[in-house]
Amino acid sequence: MTFPIINCTINSKSIQVCVDPSRTLMDVLRTELGLTGVKEGCGQGDCGACVVIMNQRAVNSCLVLVGQIEDCEILTVEGLAQQGRLHPLQQKFAEKWAFQCGFCTPGMLMSAYALLIQNPDPSEQEIREAIAGNLCRCTNYHKVVEAVQETSQYLMANQKTIGVWYG
Amino acid sequence: MQVFVPKTIAEALNILQDLREKAKIIAGGTDLIPHMRAGSIQFNSLVDIRLLKLSYIREETGYIAIGSNTTHSDILNSCIIQQNYSALHQACQQIAAPPVRNRGTIGGNLANASPAADTAPAFLVHNASVIAESTRGVKNISLDEFFRSPGKTALDPDELIVEVHIPVPEKHTSSAFVKMGKRNAMAIAVASAATQITLDSDGRISEARIALGSVAPTPIRATEAEAQLIGRLIDTQAIASIEYAVNNAARPISDIRASAEYRNQIIFILVKRALLRALEHQNAFIVSE
Amino acid sequence: MDEYSTLGKPIERYRFNELVTGKALFTNDIKLPGMLTGKLLYAAHPCAEIIRLDVSRAKKLPGVVAVITHEDVPGENSYFYLSGDQPLFASDAVHYQGDILAAVAAEDENTAMAALELIVVEYNPIHGVFDMREAIKPESEKVWKNRDNLLDHLTISLGDIKDGFKQADVIIENTYYTGRAEPAPLETEGAVAQIEIDGSIVVYSSTQAPNKDRIQIARALGISENQVRVITPFIGGGFGSKIEAHVQIHAALLAQATGKPVKIIRSREEAIRSHVKRHPFYLECRTGARRDGTITAVEVKAYADTGPYINLGPEVVGVAVMNSSGPYYTPNALLEGFTVMTNNPIGGAMRGFGGPQAAFAYETQMDLLAETLKMDPLEIRLKNGLGTGMQVPTGAKIRQGDGMRACLEEAARLIEWDKRKEKESKPAAHLRRGWGLAAHVFTLAYGRKIPDNAGVVLELAGDGTLSLRTGAADIGQGLHTALAQLASESLGIEVSQVRVISPDTEKTLDSGATNASRSVIISGQAAVQAAREIKKTLLITASEETGLPIEVLNLKNGWLTAEGERINMSVKDLANKSRRLNRSISAIGYYAVEYPEPLPPNSYPHAPNIYTFGAQAAQVLVDIETGQVMIEKLVAVHDAGLIVNPFGALGQIEGGAAMGIGYALMEEIHSEKGQILTDSLDTYLLPTAKDIPPMEVKILEFPEPYTPFGVKGIGEVGILPTAPAITNAIHDATGISINCIPMTAERVLKSLAALKDDQIN
Repeated sequence: MTFPIINCTINSKSIQVCVDPSRTLMDVLRTELGLTGVKEGCGQGDCGACVVIMNQRAVNSCLVLVGQIEDCEILTVEGLAQQGRLHPLQQKFAEKWAFQCGFCTPGMLMSAYALLIQNPDPSEQEIREAIAGNLCRCTNYHKVVEAVQETSQYLMANQKTIGVWYG
Repeated sequence: MQVFVPKTIAEALNILQDLREKAKIIAGGTDLIPHMRAGSIQFNSLVDIRLLKLSYIREETGYIAIGSNTTHSDILNSCIIQQNYSALHQACQQIAAPPVRNRGTIGGNLANASPAADTAPAFLVHNASVIAESTRGVKNISLDEFFRSPGKTALDPDELIVEVHIPVPEKHTSSAFVKMGKRNAMAIAVASAATQITLDSDGRISEARIALGSVAPTPIRATEAEAQLIGRLIDTQAIASIEYAVNNAARPISDIRASAEYRNQIIFILVKRALLRALEHQNAFIVSE
Repeated sequence: MDEYSTLGKPIERYRFNELVTGKALFTNDIKLPGMLTGKLLYAAHPCAEIIRLDVSRAKKLPGVVAVITHEDVPGENSYFYLSGDQPLFASDAVHYQGDILAAVAAEDENTAMAALELIVVEYNPIHGVFDMREAIKPESEKVWKNRDNLLDHLTISLGDIKDGFKQADVIIENTYYTGRAEPAPLETEGAVAQIEIDGSIVVYSSTQAPNKDRIQIARALGISENQVRVITPFIGGGFGSKIEAHVQIHAALLAQATGKPVKIIRSREEAIRSHVKRHPFYLECRTGARRDGTITAVEVKAYADTGPYINLGPEVVGVAVMNSSGPYYTPNALLEGFTVMTNNPIGGAMRGFGGPQAAFAYETQMDLLAETLKMDPLEIRLKNGLGTGMQVPTGAKIRQGDGMRACLEEAARLIEWDKRKEKESKPAAHLRRGWGLAAHVFTLAYGRKIPDNAGVVLELAGDGTLSLRTGAADIGQGLHTALAQLASESLGIEVSQVRVISPDTEKTLDSGATNASRSVIISGQAAVQAAREIKKTLLITASEETGLPIEVLNLKNGWLTAEGERINMSVKDLANKSRRLNRSISAIGYYAVEYPEPLPPNSYPHAPNIYTFGAQAAQVLVDIETGQVMIEKLVAVHDAGLIVNPFGALGQIEGGAAMGIGYALMEEIHSEKGQILTDSLDTYLLPTAKDIPPMEVKILEFPEPYTPFGVKGIGEVGILPTAPAITNAIHDATGISINCIPMTAERVLKSLAALKDDQIN
């Protein structure tokens, strides 16, 4: 069987993927594309470790088939930092130790990022709602919530947005 | 596994006609992909419907047409739904978490026919019907007749849900959805209830619809309880009076999440709360002395 | 503390950049050229004889490179480390669901899985043992032909228990049950093994015990330990599931068999089905007290279901039993532990190690005692609280016990305990509000007469930077950051000048496992010792250089000081000078836990002596129509000895308490005749961000003697009092009797129904 060629954009780069279309996006991101920042915690959408952003929305990449990503824009944790500079969200996570083992962190960052795309000034409840699909076994989520709050405050105070922050 | 990505509905229907049970329709994939991973599947190809332009919420005359590929998040972003179909809005709010809601679709949720499907009780009280197409034509299936048994619907293997219709509600109609899960997010319903109430000019119930989730092999209506509410003024007595009928309609099983006994104990509580919540919108609830 | 440069400061997490950018390599991120995928075949039945095992068809599948079974193990076919009773590969029978029958290495995952399907196993299922209370009866089926189901019976006693109960005016008697819990780290276990050109083997493993792995890999492969190298990549949590070896030995065997690198990663389902669980316990408790609330006698019989293998079963029961009288003084105690074998999932180490089970029992007892005596739950706890110098049932005397009362009083203050009666306890017809307190006692490190040591290698470079090599795994808690802080503080350099080299048995020294909350104490002290040795050398050089007596010299933030004043001579200068004088500026620190105090006769010989106390309090809202419990607020106050890094320390309490909330309300492994039904994260429920309430966490510092700077481990204590704080609050809100956890909504509703209507508050 020849595989279809799928065109998409990953971390702002145009990519052509030619693999079995019934493989999951998570698997292809981690394997052929080498983006091992995307983590597998359960393989079936229960834990959020594999969350990436697809067309501006957070999705569990283990629940997306690579055959479904034609013309889609995908952002993973590897696409956050610019020119070696950490994204404000990453900075805040680091400042507040909003992680311990760090395994859930990429997924957490992407869920938070997706929230701030839609809602630049979220309440604490809205933040908890946004990360409700990201399980963390090490923390009690408080520092994550604080990091997201402080990121939104920083962006607003500096007239930046989650996607346009560099410079 | 082959993944077909048809560009038109006709193309999709032809593929389904050829392959029937060997093909499975994939929309958001949030139910299907875990099944594929578990290996518990009999099909060998997928028909991805994302190019069929089935993602919309359209106002038609007398009803709203929701494309089957509309995600739960899309539903939440719709003002029309939020204002006029509270039960559906609240049901989508309580599904899993954002990454799942961003992919899961209402068509998929109904077609999957889990007895715990969150949108099902809401759609049932909204008097929904499912529009299914195949090469043989179009069918309009009332949701009341749609669910046959756990995982099984009235659809033939070559049929595709294209739309779900929900009639425009009468004046003085309000609805609500209440779900009990074992945690506050990412929880399959242990039991759920949806209600839709229409009041007449005297403040009496002219129409009542009550649907129950996770307490029967399929999502069901509590028709006996509904009938008992007609013509009544809404007060604590009226609500209490339907307890027996609600409990009679429920026939839950015990499973990994809860016992049948517990589900029986709480289902009326959920119906009561769904009624009260629906009536909050109407300001019509009279507390008896 | 201002006197310290780095201790107590919120220093950034070491290597945080890799964690927030996704660059951190965890085991499953490792790719080696030519790497094969390994998969294991697990038992289809929890209890069965193996009649036939045929891997021939699997071997022939194209893409399969090797299939191995018990016949192919060159060395010991066992998880060797503690007892060697658990085989790597089952041969004639399987005894629990996680027993392994074969291992496959193939070119890709699909092929490996297809190969598993081709392995033919004929089982003769036999009647297994699944109820620990039945298992302990003499007429019960035996898990093992040649051994009793009662694996271990431990008795710890103090005073005269009969006399103690005679003195009591009231006796509270109750039996408690704590459910089986799952560690569920976000990263499942895995390993990558590769044979090197010289025939040695390197194994990357997500492990809490790298040197233990090394021993077992060597034994199984039939090679010497110095031919085995174990390296820990980033580890995504452990909580006990990665202390005993999991897949690393099998990966090594497959690498040896194929000559190629092999990676084995457990799926979530495989992980839940096979790795250790928190033991379910029955605790039969009798507590006697005088009318004024003074405890006179504590009797506990604790039964734990340990599964079919020894693992750390008796140790967990030991910790539970040792602590089962709680943070309270009792002159008379009879504490017994029964470690019972069954064909259920293996009970082993899980954060708290028997402590949470015991805490649920003793703290519920205390509330019942308070209720019976019409005393305030806070008052009765303070009255009986342990303190410095007091003796506990093991015979040991507490070195530093001021934390018990201080933490409890602070927790009570934070939850506004004395104002609770003024608050609305019935905010709606279907809601009830309640408050609960719970205190805990716990011991750190392994205890007397158990090897408990660590080694750290420090090397100062000519530019004044330090390499710290530690064999203690950082499993996410920030241990390596803490070690860097302890070393830099002790040496007198900036923490930013420290590079931590994480466990690599080729570079680092055996430091035991990252468990028992021991690492910051033991590896910490080793680091401090090594640092002090290097500092001494530098100061000798400095004294010669400056002509000043060594007594007035010190190092601080990378500079020499004389009588506290900075001198223009840097650590870098001193390092260089020392080297030119042929002085070594590296050092090995080695520390074994000290127990200078002798134990009185008839004491428990393994009594530990590093005590830690803490207390938590909860305010809950119970929906009495559905049984749902909402925690409105949780406060946690714990004694950490000395905080090395507030982020790390508070983080451990926060995470522990979050796990405690799960343990109290929603986490339970359901199994049916040894088969786990809740083998995924949608059926085994962890708290989400929407399930954790506002939490106030505080650490009080009561420095511990014989530990570096007085630090105490803090990895496990956060989970100990959480469940009883919550269940005591539920009881306060509703009046229901609570004898078991998790208190799911269903259980709450059932208990409410058992109460007569007029008894509900």
